[in-house]
Amino acid sequence: MRNTASRVRLAAAVTAVASIAVLAGCSSSGHSDGTSAAASCAPAKGKVTLQYWNTVPGMDKVVALWNQQNPNIQVQMKNISNDQYGTISNALKAGTAPDLAQVGYDELPNLRTQNAFVDASACDAATAAKSKFVPWTWSQTSFGGTGVFAFPQDTGPMALYVRSDIFAKYHLPVPKTWDEYAADAQKMHAADKNLTMTFFDPNNAEWFNGLLWQNSAKMYAYSNDKWQVSVDSAQSKQVADYWQKLIDAKTVRTDLANGSTQMYAAYQKDQIASYVGAAWGYSMFRDNLPSQAGKWSIVPMPTWGTNAASGDWGGSTVAFMKGSTHLYESVKFNSWLNTDPQALALENKLGGLYPAATAGLQLPSLSQGVPYYNNEKIFDVFAESSRNIDTSFAWGPTQKTVNLSLQDAMAKAAAGNGTLTGALSTSQATALKSMKDLAIPAEAGK
Amino acid sequence: MTDTETRAPRVVAAPEPPRRRRRRLGGGGPRAGTIAAFLTPFFLPFVLFYLVPVGYALWQSFRVVRRTGGQYGTSYTTFGGFHQYAQVLQNSEFWSSIGRIGLFGVVQVPVMLFVALVMALLLDTPLLKIKAFFRISAFLPYAVPGVIAAIMWSYLYSPQLSPVVDLLGHLGLHPDFLGPGAVLWSAANVSTWLWTGYNMLIMYSALQAIPQELYEAAKLDGASNWAIAWRIKVPIIAPSIVLTTVFSIIGTLQLYAEPAVLRQISSNISSTFTPNMLAYTVASGNNYQQAAAISVVIALITFVLSFGFMRLTSKRAGL
Repeated sequence: MRNTASRVRLAAAVTAVASIAVLAGCSSSGHSDGTSAAASCAPAKGKVTLQYWNTVPGMDKVVALWNQQNPNIQVQMKNISNDQYGTISNALKAGTAPDLAQVGYDELPNLRTQNAFVDASACDAATAAKSKFVPWTWSQTSFGGTGVFAFPQDTGPMALYVRSDIFAKYHLPVPKTWDEYAADAQKMHAADKNLTMTFFDPNNAEWFNGLLWQNSAKMYAYSNDKWQVSVDSAQSKQVADYWQKLIDAKTVRTDLANGSTQMYAAYQKDQIASYVGAAWGYSMFRDNLPSQAGKWSIVPMPTWGTNAASGDWGGSTVAFMKGSTHLYESVKFNSWLNTDPQALALENKLGGLYPAATAGLQLPSLSQGVPYYNNEKIFDVFAESSRNIDTSFAWGPTQKTVNLSLQDAMAKAAAGNGTLTGALSTSQATALKSMKDLAIPAEAGK
Repeated sequence: MTDTETRAPRVVAAPEPPRRRRRRLGGGGPRAGTIAAFLTPFFLPFVLFYLVPVGYALWQSFRVVRRTGGQYGTSYTTFGGFHQYAQVLQNSEFWSSIGRIGLFGVVQVPVMLFVALVMALLLDTPLLKIKAFFRISAFLPYAVPGVIAAIMWSYLYSPQLSPVVDLLGHLGLHPDFLGPGAVLWSAANVSTWLWTGYNMLIMYSALQAIPQELYEAAKLDGASNWAIAWRIKVPIIAPSIVLTTVFSIIGTLQLYAEPAVLRQISSNISSTFTPNMLAYTVASGNNYQQAAAISVVIALITFVLSFGFMRLTSKRAGL
């Protein structure tokens, strides 16, 4: 019986651990105090230590370089790649947020509804930085206004990765429009049943959002004191319909997750001819498929019509967090981190970051041909893509919830249960519901 | 091993428990300090990491978020009665996840426990040699952390990498272990692989405690090995079977690791696949109050099912 008792206790302990896992991020009640207006930009007297949280590989070396050059503004960094937003949210609630934290563009509105940021526009150096960044990135970090809540760090301008050898084999020129892309997909699949143009990963809303962005979809706006939600706009539906047709025709496959071992295996077996990817993806193929060196090219994303529009997939900002008592120093470090050529070069080399700073686009390492890609100057393609990204695109305050809902519905569609257009309607409903749950005023956009 | 020596007398000396009961807890004196010293290591973590979080979740589940001012505003929470519970009960995703888990449990739990019971009975027969080897190898999967097990199995399921899928392909079979219909059972398979040995061991240790005299008596009465197994062993270890069933019910309702790992390679596992995954998803969207309500409802369902099952079986079996 002693045995039994200990088992019951074990069960209790397991239950407790499970409850804690759910509870770990629970919010405290009460009014969050402090509005962003009160920030001041006075330099501190004496030595200052800043806390900076990020997920970038090799960032410790970049920080070490800064610390060596700036004895009076020392930066302590922490890698939070295990649970980036959980860690940040918990710290906000506990009042232990760092001075600076890495936040993805699509998470900025969500964190702002949690009062996560301080407006650094009290510092002249912060407002002056505007001209140093690619325009769309600044419009997102300033929320389209005059505030400065974060500095852009890196971006993921999208382009088309093509297996030149496969296209050559079927005598197909590189597609310039999505229509040509679909037609080529048809021809390839007809010639070889095992060959598909690309894969559609239903569990990757971030990627799909990049495609919507390219087609000038406007998912969120604010007017009449309410968020105007139009996740299922006509532009979005056009993109959804397009991919639904490719899925129905089986000219793209839906069984691969982006970046998975399975995905690389399929590319390795020459089963997929292209990849709609971002700038940071160039190293994925180089590092995982070394035997395909020289077979890959990078060209601009196919377009809708004749406009050379592009989209962004991923990238991050370094946000000014509420509670920071050293705004002046934070701006100084953040500015160096994201605009100084030496820092940008290191981040690109160690972390694979594709800079959001315009100066970064001219880094020596980003101006040369890349051996894996036939010595092509692939970064010229991404720089061009970056310039063609719609600056008025905005994310929603419950973006993560909407993304998950979109993914679940897209997965159903990919499994033959519903359509991608239907998935957009589901996400629209989720967006409105999730905002209502958090008391964020919202209505369906007109 | 003292257990083995005292086994026989304990059965004979039936009225042992009352003697124990005479030792009272508390009562002051130096005893109280000793008791406190022994109990604190249990009660302190129990209060801190069990009662407090559960209480906090309960409290959160009765609150709603409100917001003041503008596009981003400032949020605060206030008492909202049963609002979050009403939301949970109206949430079709919640009921789908419960339905999915129900189906999982109704199939997986009996299959797993039946296999565990058969294995335990086999281990207990004198016919089986090298017992230690079989006992360890059956129990070994339990030593593998659930997440690792799920990752391992995900490689076996994956059409791109799996030698199993490859082999079946050569035989003309093309099963899709990660397809919309199959993926629930692929997850069930991982759970079964993980937990059968553990349940077997609980049943086996109960079998070990059965006094040999009973078998001798049964043999004298002409009972076959088969009859001994089903008429004597199984009824005697019924409490252990009930216990493993209760653990399995709890485990099923809290299913998380296996589907969460398989989700990495199969889009047919949604973010709301199991009740716990739903709670996690809702919490990751900052809706902690509703996530708390979901957790409380899961806990209530777990409570009702496991205690309901215990009551039901204890009446039947007269335990």
